Amino acid sequence: MAEVVFWVAALLALLGGVGVVVSRQPIRSVLSLVVVMLALAVLFLLLSAQFVFVVQIIVYAGAVMVLFLFVIALLGPIKESAQGRLRLQFTASVIVILIMGGFFWVMLNGVQFRAPQNPAPGVFGTVEQIGVALFTSYLYPFELTSVLLLVAAVGAIYLSRVDKGTPGE
Amino acid sequence: MNNGLLHLGSSTLASSDFLILAGLLFLLGAVGVLVRRNPIVILVCIELMLNAANLTLITFARQQGNLDGQIFALLTMVVAAAEAVIGLAVLVDIFGARELDDIDDLSELNG
Amino acid sequence: MTLQSVALTLLLLPAAGAIVLALGALRLPRTAVKWIGPGTVWLSFVCGLILFADQLSHNQAHDFTYWTWIQLGSFNVPVDLLIDRLSVFMILVVSGVGALITTYSVGYMAHEDDPSYARFFVYMNVFIFSMLLLVSAGNFIFLIMGWALVGLSSYLLIGFYYQREAAVLAARKAFVMNVIGDIGLFLGVFLIFTTYHQVRFTAVFGQVPKQDSVTLEVIALLLLVGAIAKSAQLPLHTWLPDAMEGPTPVSALIHAATMVTAGVYLVGRMHPIFDVAQYAHDGVAAIGALSAIFAATVALVQTDIKRVLAYSTMSQIGYMFLGVGVGAYGAAFFHLLAHAFFKALLFMSAGNVIHAMGDEQDMRRYGGLRRQMRLTSAAFLVGSLALVGIFPFVGFFSKDLVLGLAFSKPSLHDFPQIMWVVGTITALLTGFYTGRMWWIAFGGRPSPDRPVQHPHEAPPIMLYPVLALALLTLLGGLLQVEVAWHGGWKLVSDFLAPVVGVTGWSEGSIGYVIAALTVVLSAAVFMSAYNLYVRRVWPTWSLALPWAQRVLEHKYYFDELYSSLVAALDGLSQLVFRRVDQPLLDGTVRTLGEATKASAGALSEVETGYLRNYLLFFSAGAVVILLVVVVRLFG
Repeated sequence: MAEVVFWVAALLALLGGVGVVVSRQPIRSVLSLVVVMLALAVLFLLLSAQFVFVVQIIVYAGAVMVLFLFVIALLGPIKESAQGRLRLQFTASVIVILIMGGFFWVMLNGVQFRAPQNPAPGVFGTVEQIGVALFTSYLYPFELTSVLLLVAAVGAIYLSRVDKGTPGE
Repeated sequence: MNNGLLHLGSSTLASSDFLILAGLLFLLGAVGVLVRRNPIVILVCIELMLNAANLTLITFARQQGNLDGQIFALLTMVVAAAEAVIGLAVLVDIFGARELDDIDDLSELNG
Repeated sequence: MTLQSVALTLLLLPAAGAIVLALGALRLPRTAVKWIGPGTVWLSFVCGLILFADQLSHNQAHDFTYWTWIQLGSFNVPVDLLIDRLSVFMILVVSGVGALITTYSVGYMAHEDDPSYARFFVYMNVFIFSMLLLVSAGNFIFLIMGWALVGLSSYLLIGFYYQREAAVLAARKAFVMNVIGDIGLFLGVFLIFTTYHQVRFTAVFGQVPKQDSVTLEVIALLLLVGAIAKSAQLPLHTWLPDAMEGPTPVSALIHAATMVTAGVYLVGRMHPIFDVAQYAHDGVAAIGALSAIFAATVALVQTDIKRVLAYSTMSQIGYMFLGVGVGAYGAAFFHLLAHAFFKALLFMSAGNVIHAMGDEQDMRRYGGLRRQMRLTSAAFLVGSLALVGIFPFVGFFSKDLVLGLAFSKPSLHDFPQIMWVVGTITALLTGFYTGRMWWIAFGGRPSPDRPVQHPHEAPPIMLYPVLALALLTLLGGLLQVEVAWHGGWKLVSDFLAPVVGVTGWSEGSIGYVIAALTVVLSAAVFMSAYNLYVRRVWPTWSLALPWAQRVLEHKYYFDELYSSLVAALDGLSQLVFRRVDQPLLDGTVRTLGEATKASAGALSEVETGYLRNYLLFFSAGAVVILLVVVVRLFG
C-alpha cells in the first residue's frame, strides 16, 4: 500500500517539478509548485511527519504560494522574451547540473546508512513531540526564527512603501 | 550497518528512493534557477530546491528515528517564507513598472 | 688634574670655542671673539706642554680610554686617545703653530664684518680640534673621524670668501680630492679590521707580522692613497695651489704646517705596517721624490706669491715622504717641524705684504719692498733661506739630514740613492725659485705698476707672531745638529725613537761633503736669480725653452687631464643610463605595470553584470567544494 502511495506522489512531484521549470508563464510555474508541495506533503505523511505535513499544506502551499500569486496578480501578465542574451549560459548550466547529478548518483550508489539512533519508534512525529522539542531543546532557534519573521515583515513593509524616489532608498 | 530500510506499517521502502526523488527535484530546481530569466520563476525554483532539501531532512529523520530532522525542516520552512517575502518585495520594487521581465536587464554592475 | 683629563681638555677646548663662537656669532662683541678665538688654541698648547713634560720625564705611552662607544660582537670601538711621543710632538706642532697663526689672524681678518670675523674663528677652532683629534686618536675609527673633519674644515676655510666663485670652486675641488683619498683610507681601515679584527692601534700593531704579504701591501697602499690626497702629493695634488683662494692665515696653518702633514703623520704612525710592506714603503719614497721635483719645476713659473709657496709646500712634503719612505722617521719629522716653522713664517710674511699692498698677490707688481717693510722682508728672507737649506737656519739641518740619510742608506738596488739624486736636484731648483721669489718681490726697485706706493709695516699683532717664527727658524737647527756634526745630539729623533724606532744607519763622512756642496750650490743658484731677475744680466731661461714655459704654466696639464677624465666618466654614466638603466630597469617596471593592468582587465571580464552568470559560477563553485569535502572525508 505504502509503495503505491509513494510512487504516485513521486510521479506527481516530478511532473510538477518539470512544470515549474518549463512553463512559459509564471502563474503556471507557481501552480506547478503547489502541486509539488502537495505531493511532498503526502510523502511527509508517509514518513511519519504528521505535523510537518499539516504545516506544509497550511503554511507553505497555503500562505507562501498565495503570496506569490498575489505578486503575479500585481505585476500583471509578463512576457519573457524568446531569445536569451547569454549564449553559453544554457549549456554551461546543463553541464554543471549533470556533474552535480553524477555526484549525487555516485554518493547514493552503494551508500551505507548509519544505524538508526532510535530503531522502530512507536510514536514519532506527533504534535506533542514536536511541541515539546520546540519549547525545550530548540527554544533558542525557535525564538530566533520568530525574530527573523519580524525582520522580514518590517523589511517587506519598508521596501513596498509608496513615497520613495529611486528604488532602495 | 543498515541498508536504510524504512518500515512503514506493513510495507517496507528504501530511504534511497526518497533521496533520489529529492535529488531529482533539487537538480530540476537548480536548472530552473540558472536557465530561466523571469525573476518570479527563479524564486519559485529556489522554493523547489528548498522543498527538496526538506524532503531529505524528513527522510533521514525517519530513518534515524531522530526528531531533529523534522524540527530542522520546520525551521527551514520559516526561513524560506521570510526569504520569499523579502525577495518578492525587492522584485516588485525593481520590476514593478516594466513591460518585460528579464533578469538580464540588471547588468549595470559589470567590469 | 690627571693626565687623562688633560688630554681630553686639550681636545675639548677648541671644540668648545667653536661652539661658543658659533652660537654667539651675532651677539658676542668683537673683543670676545678676539680673545676666545686664539685663546682656546693657546690653552690647548699649554695642555700639550703638560703632556710633553710628562713624556720627557717618563718614557711611557698612554692609551687613555674614556668609554666604549660601539660594542658589536668583535667590533669594539672605544673612545681612546693614544698619547705617546709621536702624538705629543704633533700636538705641539699643531697647537703651537696654530696658536701663533690664530693670533696673527686677529689682525689679518680685522677688516671683515662681525659675523664673518666670528665665522672665521669658528672654522679655525673646528680645524684645530679635528687636527688634534687626528693626531691623538688611539684607534682607526677616530683617526678617520679626525681625518674627515680636517677635510671639512679645509673646505670651509678655503671657501671662506664664498661670494667669490673661484674660492667656491677651489673649496669643492679640495674636498672632492680629499674624498678620493678618504676612500683609500677607509678601504685600508676596513681591510685592517677584517684581517686583525681590532681597531685600536696598540692592538693592531701587536698583530702585524714580520713577514710581508699581499694583504699587508694592499693595506699599506690604500693608506698611502689617503696620505697622498691629504698631503697633496702626485697625483692627487691639483687642489693645493687652488686652495690659495682661502685667506692667507688659512694657507699658513692648513696648507703648510698642519693638514698637509697629516699624510706624513699617517705613514709615521703606521710605520709597523710600512716597515714590513716593502713595496708600498718604496712607493712612499718614490712619490715623495717625484712630487718634490714636480712641484719645484712648476714653482719656477708662478707669478702669484702664494702659489709659489703652495708648490714649495708640495715639494717640501715630498721630502718628508722621502724621509719616511726610506725609514728615516726621526729626520722626516724633524723636517716636518722645521717646515712648519719656516713655511708658516713665509706665508704670514707674505700675508703682511699682501695686506700692505691692498690684497695684491702678483709678485711682479711688488719690487723693492725690502726698504719699505724692513722687518717683514727680513723675516721673509730668513724663511726663504731656511727653505733653500742654508746654514745655520733650521731648514739646512732638517732637509740635508733627510737627503744625507737617503744617500747613505745601505740598499741592494740603489733605490734610496736614486731618490737622493732627485732630492738634490729639487734642492737646487728650490734655491732658484725661492731666489726668484725673493728678488722679484723684495729686491731691486719698486715696480712701476705698484698698487700701493708707500706700504707700511704690519701692525704689531701681525708682526709679533711672524718675528716669533723667524726666531724659531733661526734657532730651530739647534734641536738636531746631527747633519753638521755626526756625533752631535739629535733631540727630535731621540724623542721620537721610542715610537718610530731608531734609524738603522748613519751618514758616513761623505755626508759632510754632500751637505756642504748642496748648501754652496743652492746659495749660488739663489744668487743667480738676482742676476737674472734684478740686474737682467742673463736672459731668462724661458726665452730659450718656450715650450717648457708653457708646460710648466699648465702644471704639466694635470688639471686638463683630470677634467677630461671626469668628463669621460660622466659620458660613460650617461651612456649606461640610457642603454641599461632606462630600457632595462624602467622598462621592467613599466612592463610589470602594464602586465598587471592587462591581467586585471582580463580578470574583470568575469564580472559580466548578469546575475545568471554569477549564479552559474556560484553553483560550479559549490560543486567543487562538495567534491573536495567528500573526497577528504571518505577518500
